[in-house]
Amino acid sequence: MAFLEVQNLTKTFGGLRANDSISFSLEREELIGLIGPNGAGKTTLFNCICGHHPVTSGRIIFDGQDVTALKAHAMARLGIGRTFQVYAATGDLTVLEKVMVGCFLHTRSRSKARACAEEILGDLKLFDLSDYLVSELPVAAQKRVVMAMALGTQPRLLLLDEVAAGLNTPEIEEIMASIRHVNKDRGVTVILIEHVMEMVMKVSERIIVLDYGAKIAEGPPEVIAKDSKVIKAYLGERYAKEHGTIDHRSSINDQNQIR
Amino acid sequence: METLKNAVDFSDFPRIDLVIAGAVAFLFLIFPLFSASSFAMATMIQFFMFSLYGMGWNTIGGYGGQVDLGKAQYVGIGAYTTAVMLLRWDIPFWVSMPVGMGIAVIWSFIIGYPLFRLKGHYFAIATIATSLVLKDLFTVWSFVGAARGLEISPITYPPPDYMRLIFKEDIYYYYLILGFFFLGLLYMNWFRKSRLGFQLRCIKDNEDMARSLGINVHWAKIKTYAIATAFVSMVGSFHVCYIKVIEPVDIMSLDLSILIALMAMLGGAGSLWGPIIGAGVLIPLRSYLKEWLGAAAGLVGIDLIFYALIIMIVSAFEPRGIWGIVEKVRRRKRR
Ligand SMILES: Nc1ncnc2c1ncn2[C@@H]1O[C@H](COP(=O)(O)OP(=O)(O)O)[C@@H](O)[C@H]1O
Ligand SMILES: [Mg+2]
Repeated sequence: MAFLEVQNLTKTFGGLRANDSISFSLEREELIGLIGPNGAGKTTLFNCICGHHPVTSGRIIFDGQDVTALKAHAMARLGIGRTFQVYAATGDLTVLEKVMVGCFLHTRSRSKARACAEEILGDLKLFDLSDYLVSELPVAAQKRVVMAMALGTQPRLLLLDEVAAGLNTPEIEEIMASIRHVNKDRGVTVILIEHVMEMVMKVSERIIVLDYGAKIAEGPPEVIAKDSKVIKAYLGERYAKEHGTIDHRSSINDQNQIR
Repeated sequence: METLKNAVDFSDFPRIDLVIAGAVAFLFLIFPLFSASSFAMATMIQFFMFSLYGMGWNTIGGYGGQVDLGKAQYVGIGAYTTAVMLLRWDIPFWVSMPVGMGIAVIWSFIIGYPLFRLKGHYFAIATIATSLVLKDLFTVWSFVGAARGLEISPITYPPPDYMRLIFKEDIYYYYLILGFFFLGLLYMNWFRKSRLGFQLRCIKDNEDMARSLGINVHWAKIKTYAIATAFVSMVGSFHVCYIKVIEPVDIMSLDLSILIALMAMLGGAGSLWGPIIGAGVLIPLRSYLKEWLGAAAGLVGIDLIFYALIIMIVSAFEPRGIWGIVEKVRRRKRR
């Protein structure tokens, strides 16, 4: 049995089918990419898996258990962690304390939660930032802190929603290294939503492509890059005709011109 | 054990804070030895009571960010439980206080469950509404004295009565409430660093994020509300023994609810020292304004205008109150 199995998952908002009968499965310790144009339903899919939205129909099976109806906090307890596409940190908790919040899921002891948070911050090379407020940090550091917060709950499956958005190339390299490390060395299964194609292609073992709420392709990165449906939906038809080959970097701009 | 250690651990504050806090605590301890004026004593007792009300409010309102404008209903529950049990069955304070807390907590669960489905302003308004409904109920309920309220006569219980908390001199009340004050402070120091305290601060920051970190947001709020309630009810029980006369229009008034919230916000919602600073500013101000302006102050509401002015000035600079300003200056200096 697969680690995570999503079966015919549909989510509608009024008349809009944000997720249209999506099925896929995931093995333990895999790292897969989830791509698609803006509004394709990627974030909605995460929200459904994590229990933030009740699903309209379909089933979600995690580690052999039907978790379709569970609420978000219960999913976190079972071992599904996530980050949010937009997170404007406020409040007076420091970086260390924010990570401790997640750690408190499994202990009541403050010293244990603190040790757990320090371990994670050390592991992600964020230890020096422990005493800052998240809002005081540069964007790149914030993104990694958000990952550290999610890791506090000791997830077995981690859903990352555009953690590299707005970063420059060296920063992307850095966060990619962190994600790989979390996946390979901490043994966390990862689904990654990302627009920066170089990043997705490089780190993912497999890629799922959404368009208008439906899954239009799934496969290894090299195959997805040449898939005509994906080129048409995500990379842009005119773009594909003009270039013949795929330049991942500018794909999003091109996409936006066409839509 | 770790709980106890955390309660007395203030090490995350800069040394200067601890020196000031220590000095102030010492002054509190010796204050009655120097003050001859009963007016000053009464003001100090009020200050401690309101600090404690503010601390209770601060759990859910400050750390949790759920603006609660109905705390007077719990002052009332505590005060009435103690007064009724004493007058009807001669049950002493030390029994009626925990009973009052129990009743208040049960009531808080009953109204907290639906109330915390509401957000922001709706929650604030709903807390006002429940408090006013309870007040009206007490105004017509003859078992608890209806609109005339209840009076504890010191003649019936010759002071000093340590069981029923009937004393002639304020100094007894002073040291008793000072003891509660120190215990309350230690509790709050534990709370802010506890699991629930962290969860609440995370909820205030972002509820979806809190859920994704495994926090049952609704339940965490209800639990904290119950803690706030127990705090307030406990002080309410003391309150009635101290003032000896209660009427629903006073003890459950909207004014009282707002004053409690206002103090904590002025001093710094969501900070340990906030409610104490707020009470330290507002309570003497209120007492002295009344004294200087005489009865006219209450009539034309000059004292209210003063509060409003202070709140406006503070919130224009820093919505996190006086303590927020201190922290801001410190953070700026650090860099
Ligand atoms: N809570 C919501 N209520 C109504 N519509 C929503 C909601 N969340 C997302 N949508 C809609 O669902 C579609 C998919 O959105 P989303 O999942 O955020 O896309 P993506 O993350 O792929 O950019 C969009 O048309 C969006 O407007
Ligand atoms: Mg999205």
